Amino acid sequence: MREGRKAYLSQTQAAWVLLTPFLATYALFLIYPFFRGIWISLHDWNLLAVAFNPDAKEFVGLRNYERVMWGRNITWGFASPVLQALGLLGLVAAAYLLRTNRLGRLNVIALAVVSAALVFLPGFHPGEGGRWYDRRFWPTVGNTILFVAWAVPGVTISAMVLAAALNRETKAMGALRTLFFLSQVLSVTVVTLIWQIMFSPRQGLIANVMEVFGASPINWLTDEKFAMAAIVIATVWWSLGIAMILFLAGLQDISKDIYEAAALDNAKGIKAFWYITLPNLRRTITLVVVLQIILHFQVFGQSHLMTQGGPNDTTQVLVRYIYQTGFRDSELGRASAMAVFLFLIMGLFSVVQFIVGREKS
Amino acid sequence: MKHVLLTAAAAATLASGALAQEVTLGRFFGACEDAGTDTTSSVGEACIIQSIINAADAEIDGVSITTLPTDWGNYYDQIKAAFAGGTPPDIFVMHRHRIPEFAGLGAVAEISGDLEAVGIDASDWSATALDAVSFNGGIYGVPMDFHANLWHVNMDLMAEAGLVENGKPVLPSTPEELIAHAQQLKDATGKDYLAADFAQFPLGVRTVLALLWQQNGNIFTDDGTATINTNEAKNAVTAITQLFDAGLANPQLNYADSQQAFLNGESAILVNGTWVVDFYTAEAAKEEVGLDNYYVADFPTLFDTGATWADSHMWAIPSTVDGEQKMAALKVLAFINDHNIDWARTGHMAVRTSVVESEAYTSLPHRDEYAGTAAIAKDTPPSERYGAIQDVLNRELQAIWLTGKDVETALADAELEVQDLLDR
Repeated sequence: MREGRKAYLSQTQAAWVLLTPFLATYALFLIYPFFRGIWISLHDWNLLAVAFNPDAKEFVGLRNYERVMWGRNITWGFASPVLQALGLLGLVAAAYLLRTNRLGRLNVIALAVVSAALVFLPGFHPGEGGRWYDRRFWPTVGNTILFVAWAVPGVTISAMVLAAALNRETKAMGALRTLFFLSQVLSVTVVTLIWQIMFSPRQGLIANVMEVFGASPINWLTDEKFAMAAIVIATVWWSLGIAMILFLAGLQDISKDIYEAAALDNAKGIKAFWYITLPNLRRTITLVVVLQIILHFQVFGQSHLMTQGGPNDTTQVLVRYIYQTGFRDSELGRASAMAVFLFLIMGLFSVVQFIVGREKS
Repeated sequence: MKHVLLTAAAAATLASGALAQEVTLGRFFGACEDAGTDTTSSVGEACIIQSIINAADAEIDGVSITTLPTDWGNYYDQIKAAFAGGTPPDIFVMHRHRIPEFAGLGAVAEISGDLEAVGIDASDWSATALDAVSFNGGIYGVPMDFHANLWHVNMDLMAEAGLVENGKPVLPSTPEELIAHAQQLKDATGKDYLAADFAQFPLGVRTVLALLWQQNGNIFTDDGTATINTNEAKNAVTAITQLFDAGLANPQLNYADSQQAFLNGESAILVNGTWVVDFYTAEAAKEEVGLDNYYVADFPTLFDTGATWADSHMWAIPSTVDGEQKMAALKVLAFINDHNIDWARTGHMAVRTSVVESEAYTSLPHRDEYAGTAAIAKDTPPSERYGAIQDVLNRELQAIWLTGKDVETALADAELEVQDLLDR
């Protein structure tokens, strides 16, 4: 009787049944808000006004994008020579690497695209009598990229070094692993509170240590030279944990035999790390870097709570600007346009990293 | 038996649910865990307001109050998000400067017709207090105070520098005198003359604004033209920056650090609001605190006309709250209005004439020392974009004293950005 009934689902059907809860949640909380965000970005949409009167919005097409990213009399030229020269160097390097076949084709394309963007994008600037409509947007984008450029290598390198040092089966190492991971569990509020105290020029640990050596204390959070460094340091301390765990997993995948064989060839310590560990960790490194880039482009709490974007906007980051525009200024349309832009650059970086990561060397 | 108990419990829940009207309340001022219900002995803004709320919860029949967790820095963002989500608190505190934004959109209720029913006598409010809660001829809230920028003075340091006469501090009356006094104090004591949060919270903005108003200037006109790149603004800024340039004040201190510098006796003057008078009084009485001899002075007039930055705290009800719920909310507002004298203990100026004239008010510590402040209180013209405009000024002024930006360029940039905001 039981065998006669074909009550079981096919594999495809079972897959759909099991996936439905996830897909429904995903569609409701990610896909729908995403398209809704794009929809809002095409409107003049006041947060409070629309809450009281749903008709208070006005369709304005791409005007929000223009108001945020463009300006009057914008021309193209060699406005920021350093970045553009760097881009040109990148293009030359890409051509050379392609010709000599030193790097895979996809990698070369990725390098060329990034370099071309570096030559092209910073070239825009207001010409005679011109101005950006929003004078804070591009500097804010620059600050965000700068933050990512410091935080990602900072986290990756220190997590890798820590993981390599802690990759041993002793009780002490196990305890240390837990200790280093603990910071990750804290919320951004707690982390920034801890570091605000650490950086305080009056009661802070850093100031006290510096005083022992006779140096005068630094006003970390209000000095334009140190504010960005301060939030990067706090971020590295905070997000070390996950990266370290990923590296530890990667390290444990490397077979002991390789190290033994290498030891016979007299490759130990740093040499072994360079020639065996690093190449074998390539995939893990790519994964960590991609995750960190996506994560840190969304930096908000550190800047908002520690420096309030200051001094003079030197630590103002994109998400904080989106937040201020949307909630403090109630301009949801403009804020959504910036959010769509953020999505695009994060998407771009992910695609670049994805291409690089997939390629076999 | 078990059934009887369960039924009784259920009935009790229902009964109390029907009787007690839940009122949610949103406020800033910070958290106070054990405020109690004694409104006459609490110290500091957070504990005084919470003790009043707790007392209202205990004493008003049929009303129970839940204070929502909110945080100072993001208060208005949270309130707006709550409005947008359709769940604003039943009563919430706000500043006078936010009325154009909230009342202009119809977000808060006009309550002039409801005040009498709960025993709030609007005629007892001073004319300026009534003005503070009025918008287009209606009343949109119950005023709680005026607060303003003061000069908090360490009399021991001033005396050491010879800047005390008849028990009062000698304060400057021109920008030149300001720097002369500052130098005199530095030479005599080795300490900074003046401290304030010039680095984060906009106390530097409020100081410069006061000096601008003292020359009868302002940052924009009533018809929406930004007027920041002016000689008056330049004079106001350089009156302050001369202190930084001469090393007589430190622009890098934030709120907590500047306050600490003053309490430690490292700075003779702290520019801060009325809200800390009772706190500093309490601190000065402590043995271990560097500040011993505390005095409060009106913001001095360095130019032609007296002026200091001021604002007003008030309580409002969302326009969506009605019926029984609105009555309950109004009762809480009436209770807060009745305790105006307790709130004035913070150092804020009371809004009710009967309180201002009372012995209890005039005998509050230091109250007579800053009696002139009410007459010179001032703020920028009303605007829906108050917050964003303050932020522009804060950034450009920080740029001047923290990152060495040229004064004229900074003022020109600020004018451009404020004009953008006014035009939006």
